[in-house]
Amino acid sequence: MKFRDRVILVTGASRGIGAAIAQAFAAEGGLVIVNYRENAQAAEAVVAECRQLGGEALAIAADVTSPEAVAAMAEQIGQEAGRLDVVVNNAFAPYRFDPDQRARFWETPWEAYGRQFEGAVKATYTVSLAMLPLLERRGGASIINIASDLVTRPSIPYHDYTTAKAALVGFSRNLAAELGPLGIRVNCVAPGLVCPTDASAATKEEVRETLIAATPLRRIATPTDVAGPVLFLASEWSGFITGQTLHVDGGLVMA
Amino acid sequence: MIEHAGHLPGLTRDEVRWRSVRHAAWRETVEIALPELDEAQAQALCARVRADARSRLKRMDVARIVAVIDEAIARLLDRQHPLRRKAEDLLPIVTGYDRETVRLGLTSYLKTFRRPQLQRFLAEDFSNPGMLDTFQPAAKGGFVRAYGPELLLHVWAGNVPALPLWSLICGLLVKAGTVGKLASAEPLMAGWFAGLIAEIDPELGECLAIVWWKGGEAAGEAAFLRAADTVIAYGSNATLEALRAKLPATTRFLPHGHKIGFGMIARTALDSRKAMMLARLAAHDVARYEQQGCYSPQLLFVERGGRVTPGEFARYVAHELAALAHRHPRRALSPEETASVAAWRGAQELRALDGGTELFGEPADPWSVVHVEKPEALNPTGLNRTLKLVSVDSLDAVPALVAPYRSYLQTAGIAAPPAELFRLAGRLGEVGVTRIAALSHMGAPEAGWHHDGRFSLLDLVTMTEIEHSAEAAAEGFAPYAD
Repeated sequence: MKFRDRVILVTGASRGIGAAIAQAFAAEGGLVIVNYRENAQAAEAVVAECRQLGGEALAIAADVTSPEAVAAMAEQIGQEAGRLDVVVNNAFAPYRFDPDQRARFWETPWEAYGRQFEGAVKATYTVSLAMLPLLERRGGASIINIASDLVTRPSIPYHDYTTAKAALVGFSRNLAAELGPLGIRVNCVAPGLVCPTDASAATKEEVRETLIAATPLRRIATPTDVAGPVLFLASEWSGFITGQTLHVDGGLVMA
Repeated sequence: MIEHAGHLPGLTRDEVRWRSVRHAAWRETVEIALPELDEAQAQALCARVRADARSRLKRMDVARIVAVIDEAIARLLDRQHPLRRKAEDLLPIVTGYDRETVRLGLTSYLKTFRRPQLQRFLAEDFSNPGMLDTFQPAAKGGFVRAYGPELLLHVWAGNVPALPLWSLICGLLVKAGTVGKLASAEPLMAGWFAGLIAEIDPELGECLAIVWWKGGEAAGEAAFLRAADTVIAYGSNATLEALRAKLPATTRFLPHGHKIGFGMIARTALDSRKAMMLARLAAHDVARYEQQGCYSPQLLFVERGGRVTPGEFARYVAHELAALAHRHPRRALSPEETASVAAWRGAQELRALDGGTELFGEPADPWSVVHVEKPEALNPTGLNRTLKLVSVDSLDAVPALVAPYRSYLQTAGIAAPPAELFRLAGRLGEVGVTRIAALSHMGAPEAGWHHDGRFSLLDLVTMTEIEHSAEAAAEGFAPYAD
């Protein structure tokens, strides 16, 4: 029970990768704040799952790009849990990973980049800023931001999404430099294609097979695969690691 | 929610007794109601289908039947169609296969029944498919027409989703009045398909019924078995023998028993690049529907002398199976299945004590691979992703190793250069292998294939010939005769 008595906030945790991360923390005894935007029913299902796994959980609705909503969430966490040890910035702006129908560069309006920046960088900025007072209360806090291996290897050029994730990596390194002296570590986990998730449902088998063929471990990541490295970066086992990006893609990217 | 299985023209839901069966998998449950017809209902249903086949189906052109099937398949391929969605929802719960396996399996299977493929089916067995509609000139002189049975009974088995559609469609193509008995392990797809047919062409829908009875017990069974002109049945030899014993002597019986598939890998295919690729393809064949299909590989014969040794190749296959288990988790096994896998593993472990045998994977893993150095005859594994790799000095030794099991032979997957492929195919054909496929295609026979080496449509029909003498003699009786 590595995370007994620890409080972990996972944004966008009602489904997919976020839900898997929430459950993994719960299985290690943590109190997980299951943040979600719209689907209360799905979030409650994740909460129930977390409890069944031996952890504690609480669903809180908040649009992570809204400073007011996030401030209210911080307030609630402070009141109900009294502490916060780990923030996992997993939520991102809605995106459909569809290699066949993706917008090519000259079809991608600047506004699309803007939406992804909001979802990736502004959300992480807003949540990190609002949670900082809670994170500073105790030593050993950790922020983990979910990036993408597409930053290093754009297997499919999703311009807006990947550029925003690249900015998130830069944001995280700066934050790591800033918060290191305060004892707070900041790292990124960069998965490759993750299936099954709602966002990747439109990625055709052919693309998956091509990626698998180029991947040394010969498969596509599952949401659970992403959870392990997140837990590692949240634990003291990675106590001397900050500002890093851990690729979770079966060796497709080696950097 | 209760899902009513079957398709029963002329019977309302209230008139029928239903047996409720609960299926659970992937933390969901579904209740399936299976129809249990009494003897009088079974008799009446058979009589009705036979009469409708005689008065309606036999008068339809094959082109119309093809168009209806094509349309029904198009709807099932449409991922937004309510029935397709229901299939993707319920089949994983009923069969235990994971959602992705079901989704991908349905699409790759259903697309082999579109109009062009159905035309290929017909062309494969009939030099002139028009003979299913009218008398056609025969090469030897005279005219010939093909007639399907008036009442064709299918007795399906197994849990591979939608597999019954194969024989069901063959029957419709030869205009056979059709009664299909659902397999308890996948009792949904055939009934849904029949319902779609009825929706698209109500007249055709009257000519087929999808039923169920508890094998060997039910009151209705004897009525169905007595009524059919032809019976196509799937299952173990014991099941097939019991069934045959109950049929009238004049009933045509077309049994399809259990088979053991195997693969052969030539040393030339085992270089540093291709070996890894082949390992993946082989793993796909093994994992597809947990080796429940008659074409699934249970053994791979691997030739020594390539850059990659058979033992190394076994290790690659083991890793690919481990990787596949993440994407397509193995379905939960029944206690009998678990015991069967454990027994097989146990036997291999025992043999490993003598040396020359290497076992990969832990008992808890959802797959098992064993590699043996000594040549070994064909032998069933524990199924559910259990595979044996056998080293051989030459693939030419394989036909003799499999020959004693002729009645179990069907599909062989071969990875070898062209000259070797044809040489091996010739020898495998002699010992009873009827289908040779590429690795990764073992579980997906091509449209128009010859199941167990038989003619899927031709085996169902009888030919009526107008001999040349009759045609010539008729001229003498014509009003215009001089």
